[in-house]
Amino acid sequence: MTTLAIYSNKGGVGKTAAAVNLSYLAARTGMKTLLCDLDPQGSATYYFRVKPKLRSGAKGLIKGGKQVFRSVKRTDYENLDLLPADFSLRNLDIRFNKLKRPQKRLRRILAPFRDEYDLILLDCPVTISILAENIFNAADFTLVPLIPTTLSLRTHRQLLSFCKKKNFDVGRIYVFFSMVDRHKKMHRELLAAAPKMLKGVLESPIPYLAQVEKMGIHREPVVVFSPGSEASRSYQNLWDRIHEIVRSTDASDVTVPPGIPL
Amino acid sequence: MLSLANRQPILGPTKFTRPGEYDVEQFIHELSDSYTVKKERVRTETVRIYDTFDWRLFNKSLVLYSSGDKLHLRKLSEREILYSVTIPSVPVFVWEFPSSRLKEQLAAVLDVRALLKLAEIHSRSMPYSLLDREGKTVVRLVYEEIRSSRDRKAPSLAAHLRLEPVRGYSKHFQRIARRFEQAGLTVSTEDEIYFKGLKASDKTPGSYSSKLAFQLDPAMRADEAAKVILRFLLRVLQVNAVHIEKDIDTEFIHDFRVAVRRTRAALGQIRSVFPAETTERFKKDFAFVGQLTNELRDLDVCLLKEDAYKAKVAPVLRKDIEPLFDYLRKKRSEAFQKVIRGLKSKRVATVLKDWEVFLDTSPQDSPVAANAGVPAITLAQKRIFRKYKSAVKAGTRISENADDKMLHVLRIHCKKLRYLMEFFASLFHPEAINSLIDQLKRLQDNLGDFNDLRVQEEYLLTVARQLPVNREGSEKIFLAIGSLVGALAGDRKLVKNAFAETFADFAAPANKELFQNLFAGQTSLRTHDNTGHL
Repeated sequence: MTTLAIYSNKGGVGKTAAAVNLSYLAARTGMKTLLCDLDPQGSATYYFRVKPKLRSGAKGLIKGGKQVFRSVKRTDYENLDLLPADFSLRNLDIRFNKLKRPQKRLRRILAPFRDEYDLILLDCPVTISILAENIFNAADFTLVPLIPTTLSLRTHRQLLSFCKKKNFDVGRIYVFFSMVDRHKKMHRELLAAAPKMLKGVLESPIPYLAQVEKMGIHREPVVVFSPGSEASRSYQNLWDRIHEIVRSTDASDVTVPPGIPL
Repeated sequence: MLSLANRQPILGPTKFTRPGEYDVEQFIHELSDSYTVKKERVRTETVRIYDTFDWRLFNKSLVLYSSGDKLHLRKLSEREILYSVTIPSVPVFVWEFPSSRLKEQLAAVLDVRALLKLAEIHSRSMPYSLLDREGKTVVRLVYEEIRSSRDRKAPSLAAHLRLEPVRGYSKHFQRIARRFEQAGLTVSTEDEIYFKGLKASDKTPGSYSSKLAFQLDPAMRADEAAKVILRFLLRVLQVNAVHIEKDIDTEFIHDFRVAVRRTRAALGQIRSVFPAETTERFKKDFAFVGQLTNELRDLDVCLLKEDAYKAKVAPVLRKDIEPLFDYLRKKRSEAFQKVIRGLKSKRVATVLKDWEVFLDTSPQDSPVAANAGVPAITLAQKRIFRKYKSAVKAGTRISENADDKMLHVLRIHCKKLRYLMEFFASLFHPEAINSLIDQLKRLQDNLGDFNDLRVQEEYLLTVARQLPVNREGSEKIFLAIGSLVGALAGDRKLVKNAFAETFADFAAPANKELFQNLFAGQTSLRTHDNTGHL
């Protein structure tokens, strides 16, 4: 079982679109997948047409156990489940701070799911506080979407120094470029230079495409409603890279689906 | 049929039977008052059910079936699948399976028996998704029709609606389940398709077993009881004879031989119930039928043990024994043809036909044979107890250095005793007789192992003399056979060492008392004066 956090300390970078499409692609390979929508805005939840509601809200989530288990919804896609967002998650930071040893609570909350799923994806809100520490403690890998701009790179450096300060292994942080516009000179130049400037860059950028934005209308992963599109191909390439990383570290077998009940 | 009313909320997929003329389309349409009904793509699937000829899986409440390229094992009447493997085609024997938990589980049940495809079922599923206001699937509904052929005009074996819950939306599932029930649909039993599919292929689960299964009445005449036993054995014999020719596995010939041996034992041990000349004739006839298959069975036993034998040969000679098994395989195919010819011969046909006619003739009112009119229970008790005493007597004479022949004599006594106890088991309290049979079985296992090893050693030495030797270096095969025979002789010594203790258990006073209570205590049951020579 692998836990993968899709995280950014900057908003509007295509984090949720990546989480939705990657979780769908993972499930399609036969991996039992759980997407946890930790963002109170609940966009991933919205894309999967699920009501943004957790049993007992953020309080129930922090408590962990049965309530969290019972909040899980099966999406319309085989092997893919969703732990929906809830508006009360906006206070997650405050709630974590009230705990005695808060840094590893998220890891504990997710522990019961380890046996059931092959992959847990965390769609994270923008944060660089105690919640971020929880995320880094819970995840085996962190995937950071970056728009190829100098400002984005600066924000990313801030994240890396935060991680170093907190003693998190920065070797487990991967980066992919998101919302790439090849008409822009800066995007092209940064894309070319990035692998030398940064470690862990996955060379599978996601272009800025209208198809991705249309996910809000279709309320489906772009890979489902527009399978042949450039957007779908890009997410597929990105997933292939991530899948290699997951496979190289996780030897557990993928379960055989049971077929039709006789 | 189960009713929903008295049950806990069902959370697993649930099948509902469709009343004969029920309009499913209409019913599904009616659900559109609360949901958006989305029709999905029709799916067709072929499911094949497997078991052995003697229903070993069914007898253990297991169902083995393939669907697509997957093979699944589950418990009868339970939804949960125990093990699954992806497999392009289903192997015949368990040793041909890829290593898996499924293989381990099957190996313990199937042993050397072949897996047969017993039924093929074709399902056509029309799935529907019920969506809430967000457009999210909250329940899935599948209308499924099952046929025994792909032809859609073929009569349907079963048609049902399967309601599949979606995790996190159990309230919708329960709401629709209630609507189903209000509409007159009932929850169907889980194994309906298994049984219906087999029935459509003219198969009845559990219909064949080589185990003796009949009920005798204590007061019935002994000759009638003997005929019940022998008719059962004849049926086993006939059923297996039909399949031997197909050479599916080694157990058809084995079961056939056991039935012949039991028939001979019944003729010899259930004494003086038939006219003497009839008994003598068929004893000879069945001895002839039995010996027809001797060579084939010896070869089968050797070949079944191929891997075990190879492991016993000294490692340096292991590859040199290979030609022995090639030779045995060649001999086996010759022996097999000989058996087929023998079983098709006029003599065998006449024996079986005459035997059937004799068994189907109603007994005469005034019995000719001395024990014919004796109550079954009286004859059974006397014969069993007498045989028990001879077994104990024969065993007691066997000392540490006794001749192997004496062990052979004891083995034959025990075999006859076992058959007698099994023939008449239905006349006694099951627990009492079964515990005695188990005790006897332990002794028989010891004696049987000893005899098997002795026979195998002799057989290998005989084969060694027949082996064609014309290649240079082929003399190494004799060394290899020697090494194997040596290992078998070592094993035999170990088995013999265990004999004394096993026999002491069998002949112990406590066990003797049990035999006495069951077979020598109820003389009051005797109602006939003409006891004759028992």
